[in-house]
Formats: sequence, structure tokens, C-alpha cells
Amino acid sequence: MTVRVGFVGLGVMGRPMAGHLLAAGHELAVWARRPESAAPLLEAGASFCATPAELASRCEVVISVVTASADVENLALGAGGLIEGFAPGGIHVDMSTIAPGTARKVAASYAERGIGWLDAPVSGGEIGARDATLAIMAGGEADVLERVRPLFAALGKTVVHIGPAGAGQVAKACNQMIMVNAIQACAEAMRLAGAHGVDLARVREALMGGSAGSRVLDVMGDRMARRDFVAGIQSRLHHKDFAILMEEARQLGAPLPVAAQTWQQLNALMAMGGGRDDTASLLKVLEPTGE
Amino acid sequence: MKVGFIGLGIMGRPMALNLLKGGYDVTVWARRAESMAPLLEAGAKGAANSAAVAAACDVVFSMVADAADVEQVALGVGGVAEGAKAGLIYVDMSTIAPAAAQSIAARLAERGVTMLDAPVSGGEVGAINAGLTIMVGGDEAAFETAKPLFACMGKAATLIGGPGAGQVAKACNQILTGVGVMAVAEAFNFARKSGVDAGRVREALLGGFAYSRILENHGQRMLDRNFKPGFKAWMHQKDMNIVMQEAHRLGLMLPSSAATAQLFNALVGSGMGEEDSIAALKLLENLSGE
Repeated sequence: MTVRVGFVGLGVMGRPMAGHLLAAGHELAVWARRPESAAPLLEAGASFCATPAELASRCEVVISVVTASADVENLALGAGGLIEGFAPGGIHVDMSTIAPGTARKVAASYAERGIGWLDAPVSGGEIGARDATLAIMAGGEADVLERVRPLFAALGKTVVHIGPAGAGQVAKACNQMIMVNAIQACAEAMRLAGAHGVDLARVREALMGGSAGSRVLDVMGDRMARRDFVAGIQSRLHHKDFAILMEEARQLGAPLPVAAQTWQQLNALMAMGGGRDDTASLLKVLEPTGE
Repeated sequence: MKVGFIGLGIMGRPMALNLLKGGYDVTVWARRAESMAPLLEAGAKGAANSAAVAAACDVVFSMVADAADVEQVALGVGGVAEGAKAGLIYVDMSTIAPAAAQSIAARLAERGVTMLDAPVSGGEVGAINAGLTIMVGGDEAAFETAKPLFACMGKAATLIGGPGAGQVAKACNQILTGVGVMAVAEAFNFARKSGVDAGRVREALLGGFAYSRILENHGQRMLDRNFKPGFKAWMHQKDMNIVMQEAHRLGLMLPSSAATAQLFNALVGSGMGEEDSIAALKLLENLSGE
């Protein structure tokens, strides 16, 4: 079944995702602040809309992958935003990583006008977006999720309905916390091995066979051992995510002592100018800084 | 010199009263009429809003909860900027983020108002006894003009630097007091769990390099198990949040502050937010087994 689908946010994640939707035979329209970023998709058959409102008026479902909570709020509720264009029954699926509170707020505004919402952040990074193997965690109404499942099938390999609006973002915050804490633990292990003068690659290889084996040790441990700090995911994005989750923890009165320390290591990494490097460069924060 | 005061809560009320005691002509405004009553009885004039206070005064003080409130008082509808005479000095004594103070000061300057950020340390007792420590950021001439007024409210007012510098000093103060309270609570819990009398430990340590005002005052209240505020845990949590947000913005590593902020989260999440910060001792005891 062909869906008239709109897409906003054609960055490293969004561009391959939009391409998959087009390849799956859906009718794709896009809006972008910089129209030139849409060029490859337009050549492949997508159409361009002048504003988010126009995009929403032409689509059954609009998917967004942007950077920050404020971006999503502007896109949805700002002047010329999606809410002005959607017909009742339209659906906005936001796949960005933003604050659960923003997701709930936007969902409530849409609900007043009979417009559906899903927060559907993803895990799997650029590779997952390219290979259509993303893990999708969805927050919102079950019937809305059922309507967009055919689109998700073109983007990822797992879709889990976590709960109501905002719940997808809660799961994503948990994902980011576990993953970056694990990267920090991995960096500390690699630093300890390095300080002893022991070969990092062999330590990693041995540990992968035992109870410390993990995806993070596999991928990030390998990058650390090879000192390959070219992003993957830029560490400044994890830094941004940590500000969101630590703020949520504060509001809820939940202590996150390990995450709080990881956040400080990320702060130091930003100060070292490592924001555009891979988060594996948390290893560098632990290394002697010289004179 | 005519003086205005906006925000008459636990801190603002005694501070405004001390300005009256100092012989100044004081005009006040607060959101709730009942907050204004004690000041009016003591001889202050009441105004209809912040703009009206500004119109009647040469120097206007505010003492409110957070940056959003300061923004409203200074630049909102019916705010200070609307009523300000040329050359008005606006002194905000609330604790807010340095970046917020700088932003508000810059926008007020465009409208001819000179702002000082002048947060305080010393709590309710310091406000009542005119014993506050006042940390000031902003223009030096404005600071000199306000100095006699600061003298009515506190025992020391220090110009730290330009706009926002007072809030930076206050954030440093909150790092030291927040981490300090946790350190004393950890030491006392350590002594207790080791079967040693924490009171004697405190007494011995007061004579050495571990001496601090917090060990002396907060330590005594911990021994007395007097958890009445003082300074409420949720307010300390709020102030530590300003510190951690600035650290994030600046790319600044604050591991001890980060740990302390999490203990405040646990304190508030455990329902002890309305107690004094020293209730951290109870939290640590609960987590260490009785």
C-alpha cells in the first residue's frame, strides 16, 4: 500500500531513511531549510514543499529527524508549522532524540485537532539508517502505530511500542545512558590496559569471549584499540542527550551517580575540542595531557 | 535616594525591612498582597506592579525564585523597564544562572537601565540579622551608588566583576556548600558506622585543617538531628542544577559537584526536599544500613 509520506531532516540519518521510503514505493515529499540538501531525493522522484504546513497538507504521515527539542517544537507548532497543514487523521512521527516532556507537549497540541503523534527515536546510528536495521522505540497511541508500521518496516528491523506519548523518548534516554556509560567503562578498561603497556586489541579480544562482552566493547573497544576516532556518532550529540536525561532525572528526583560522572567526562571532551569526534575519544580524556 | 523592593518572601521581606530600618524611603511590590502587608505596616509604600516601583525609585531590588521570574520582573509586561526613569539602577539579588543574568542585563542596558546581579549567602538568618554576604557583578559606579543600601542588608558586599560575575561567585559558593555538606554527612556516617561518636570527631576536627563553617554549624545540627530548614534541600538542588547546566555549557568537568547533585536528586526523590540540606545525613544512613 502506497502512503503519501513527508520527510523533514535530511542529515546523515534522515537522508538514507527517506531514500528507503522512496525505494519501498511510497509517494515522498520533503521540506528542508536548505533546499539543496534535498537535491538527491528530488532527482530520485521526491517532490519539494515550500513550508512544513504545505508538506503536512499533502501527506498522510510526516516523519522528522532533526536535532533538538526546540527544532521539533518549531516544526510542529511554530508559524507555518505542520499543525497548520495536517488534515484530521494526519500523523506526525518524530524520530529525533528529544526530551520526553516536549514529545508529550506536542502530542497534546495535535490531539486537540485530531492529529496523531508518535515519538519514535531510534538506535543503530548511521549504519542502521543506511542498512534499514534501526531499532525503533515508539511512544503514542497503539492504533497510530499500527497505521505507520508499513513505513517502519522500510526503516528498521525492530519496533517496540513502549507506551503513551513520550515513552519512546524515555526508552531512548535509557538507551543513551546505558550505551555511553558502557563506552566510558570501556574507555577506562582500555586506559588501564594501556597504562600497563598491555596490547589493547588482545584485551578486547579476550574479554569479548566472556561476561564483559558487549556490543560497545566490540565496536568502541575496537575503535579505541585502533585509535580510530573519526565519528560514527559525534560525541557532541551524546553530550546533548546527557543534558536531556540529567535534567529529567533532576525533575523526577532520581539519582544517576554513574551517568553524572560520564556527563562530566563528556564535558571535558567538549572542552578538549573533541565534540565532532566519535564518542570513543572518551579514552583521550583519561590519557595524560602532557606538560 | 528612593529605594524599591520586589519579591517579599522568606528572604525579601527581612531585607526590605532592613532598608526601612536604615532610614530609606522604600516602595514595595509582591505578587501576593498578604506578602506586602508587613512592609506597609512598617512604613513602606505599596505599588501596583514592578513598573510602578521603578517609576518611584532610584534603585530597585528584586528577590524572586528563578530566572523566569527575574525576566518577568525586569522585562515583562508591567516590568521594571516599562516604568524606569533615566539612570535607574536595578539590583537582582535572586540566585539565577550567570548566562541568564548577562542576557537580562544586556537587554536592560538597551533601555537605559543599569543592572547589578547581587546574589547572597547567609540564608534567612542572615537576611533577618543583616548579616548577608553579597556578591556583585556589573558596573562599578552603580555598585558604589548601591553600597550604602547593601550595608543595610549585609555585612559584606564585594564587586566580583562585570555582569554575571556575582552569579558566578554564587555558583562557586553553592559548589563549596553543597559538596561541603555532603562531605560532613559522609564523615559523620563513616564515624557512626565505625562505632565512633561523631560529636567527638567533630570537636577534634574543628581544631585542625578540616575546620570549616559547615563542619561547625551544619555538623552541630546533624548531631542534634535538627533537620528543619535553614536552606531547603530542593533549593540547594535547584542551585546545583544551575552549576551543572553551566558546566555543560562551558565544557567544564565538575565530578564532585556532579556526585553531590545526584545526592540532592535522591534527597528530593525520597520526599526530603522540604527539609534542610543536612537531611543528606539521613539519606546516607538509610543507604548504609542501620
